[in-house]
Amino acid sequence: MFEILVQQDGLVKLSGRLDAAQADRAKAALDAVKGSATLDLTDLDYVSSAGLGVLVQTYKRLHDSGHGFKLTNMKPRIRSVFVYAGLDKVLRLD
Amino acid sequence: MMERRFPRNLGSLEPMAQFVADYVGSRGFDPEHSFTVDLLIEELFTNQLRHGKGGGPEVSLRLGGEREELVLTLRDFDVESFDPTSAPEPPPDASAGGHGLRLVRGISDSIRYEYRERSAIITITKRFPR
Repeated sequence: MFEILVQQDGLVKLSGRLDAAQADRAKAALDAVKGSATLDLTDLDYVSSAGLGVLVQTYKRLHDSGHGFKLTNMKPRIRSVFVYAGLDKVLRLD
Repeated sequence: MMERRFPRNLGSLEPMAQFVADYVGSRGFDPEHSFTVDLLIEELFTNQLRHGKGGGPEVSLRLGGEREELVLTLRDFDVESFDPTSAPEPPPDASAGGHGLRLVRGISDSIRYEYRERSAIITITKRFPR
């Protein structure tokens, strides 16, 4: 089960399992974000490369238009996926 | 050893994850290790869906190994050969996929690819020291 909640203030809450079956839904929700975004990953239990791809696409889109993009409150195992993929050198992980 | 067949589509990801959790629990591993095995399987499986042309209605997933070693084998039937062990990796900031191979190579202890009788067979070994 995967849920994504986009708030007006740019805070985006993701929860559950962001796998390849959910990547399109995550992408559609994140495409609605037009300004700086902070993604709260407190309740995200799982992410695969498909999910990482969506997050990197969103980061690039916002970054290229001068907006910020931050990932916060990720569990250690979620952080390890970003690190193994080399994305800790690309994205801001708080 | 446990083996099960799953439909060859993305709807199998959650049932596969449950299969992994059951197996990891039966071996007495830390439940946290399910996350790692689940991730390896998704990356291999989605890679096969993307690059393995053809394919039958189901794939086979087998989990086994002894002591601190977990061996997973994904078999994709009636498919053209695609060797994920020889595919190039994209740069880390690539947005259009490719992170999966880097993850699999970074997390696995060994990866073996075989192609026989029109089946692509990928075997990964992962050690979980107790």
